[in-house]
Amino acid sequence: MTNSRAKYLFLMPGVCWILAFTLFPLLYSFGLSLTNYRLGKNPKYIGFENYAEILGIGDEKIDKKAVSTASFSAFLFLGSTAATLIFGTFVAWVFNHNLPFLRQMRAIITMPLFAAPIALGWLGVVLFNEQSGPINNVLEGLGLGRVNWFIEPMPARFAVMFTDVWQWTPFVFIVVLAAMQSVPDDLYESAQLDTKSNWQLFRWITFPMIAPALGTVMLLRMVESLKIIDIPYSLTRGGPGSVTQTYVYYAYETGLVGSFQLGEAAALAYLLVVVAIVVSSIYFYRVRERFE
Amino acid sequence: MAAQTNSLPLTEPRSPGARASLGDRLIIALAIICTFIAFSPFGYAILTSFKSQWKDGSIIPFVQFEPNLQNWQTEFGSGGPETFKALRNSTLISLGATLVATTLGTLAGYGLARFKYGIGNRNLVSWFLSQRFLPPVATLIPFVLMFRDLKLLDTLPGMVIVNATFTLPFAVLIMRDYFADLPPEMREAALVDGASEFTTFLRIALPLARPALVASTLICFAFAWNEFLFASVLANRDWKPYPMLVAGSDTVRGIDFGFVTTRMLIAVTAPVILSLMVQRFIVRGLTFGAVKG
Repeated sequence: MTNSRAKYLFLMPGVCWILAFTLFPLLYSFGLSLTNYRLGKNPKYIGFENYAEILGIGDEKIDKKAVSTASFSAFLFLGSTAATLIFGTFVAWVFNHNLPFLRQMRAIITMPLFAAPIALGWLGVVLFNEQSGPINNVLEGLGLGRVNWFIEPMPARFAVMFTDVWQWTPFVFIVVLAAMQSVPDDLYESAQLDTKSNWQLFRWITFPMIAPALGTVMLLRMVESLKIIDIPYSLTRGGPGSVTQTYVYYAYETGLVGSFQLGEAAALAYLLVVVAIVVSSIYFYRVRERFE
Repeated sequence: MAAQTNSLPLTEPRSPGARASLGDRLIIALAIICTFIAFSPFGYAILTSFKSQWKDGSIIPFVQFEPNLQNWQTEFGSGGPETFKALRNSTLISLGATLVATTLGTLAGYGLARFKYGIGNRNLVSWFLSQRFLPPVATLIPFVLMFRDLKLLDTLPGMVIVNATFTLPFAVLIMRDYFADLPPEMREAALVDGASEFTTFLRIALPLARPALVASTLICFAFAWNEFLFASVLANRDWKPYPMLVAGSDTVRGIDFGFVTTRMLIAVTAPVILSLMVQRFIVRGLTFGAVKG
């Protein structure tokens, strides 16, 4: 029957594309990770030696830079995810009121989400500038003193995190707002008989109703936070030293800058692929019914 | 209802003449503060781009500093050829990637919304989306070698391929969702009239899906436009897109803030304007259908 032929014709172009440009590169990458390939040299198969070197298995010493960059990635994974969820939910609560101009303001709030992260990193360079940046000027005006954002390790880490949080809070905001708006009004109406406290209403009605959406954005934010590279690339260049270098940034630098150690970089990247698969599996497990 | 006396997180109609309560005013004030925080970095960038002197930290135009077009003139005047070339590259790469992603995504999205596949539709959709979850470095490393062997380094087709690949999940999802919401009777009626599956798709479903098609196009375009990582490795000479120029802003003349903010503003203008046109699709598109917006 033509029907059964036709249905595969719709699907095939997309499937072939993903096979060629996602799945094949991914397998290629795994193959590379088992070699000592450097650009310009002949690759040699070395089994899992790259992995052993990174993880410090056997007589190898653990790759200290992999550990330190991974810990900065973990800092963003936890800090940035938590901050965007809290701020985003608060902003959504503010905007979930039927008041004039909120719609227009809402469109303005989503703007950072669509700006190129590499450009936002540069914007951060201007805003966090120690001498003339507006952030330090405001801090000084408040009597909190100036912060050396690019010289001291901890402020530098927070500068990267704040920039990422500023970009992604709108994402959490619009998703959570959508979830809040789908909460039926009569739930509030009946609850109002018992309490007038906004906090109580949020805690016992809004929060349970938006919890599934919060879980979904949380997982998406986690996956995205593992991929952060553009912002530190332009904001701090990974510095001071390498304290704001993310794990992806480290893999990028190992394989694609300087000595082009593609084999080792592929192994670094593959370890992250494993983490990404774990997080995304949880995501798909939660949302797959919707895809039927 | 009690909503007139206190501000509850309710979306209920107010009587037109009612005066704003204290709670409402507080909410509006909070909303304005949030909006200010979201927008002020852009605002500061706009002011800085009209300043030739940035060191003094002044921010009020005409009072504290005399605004001028010097930075913009540099970017489009003496630096014009480089700027226009990068913008042209960005435009062609993003258009090409959007065309490929939306075409493949529309076909696959229609298939996934209308037919049942043996492997299970939910598995197929998850599989299409999983690309978005991979760290880009993992595929970037093999792409360097593949593109070198295929002579695709620093070419338009090469850049279209990488950008289409990572925007495809958005297109598949937005289109599938929209097609799934169309009444199936339309397709069945057309099929009964003797139209083939493909004619039905082209004549019946596709015209109806125009809003989703527009949304998918704009979202794919915006994301391709912002892509930097792949470009930094795969296209660093002839097909350098604009984000590469932004990334290299410091090498030109040290860090000149007016100049950096000018470039930053040029880079963000197109996607930000496009995003304002697809507000309705952003939630579903970016959560891959997990939350209905």
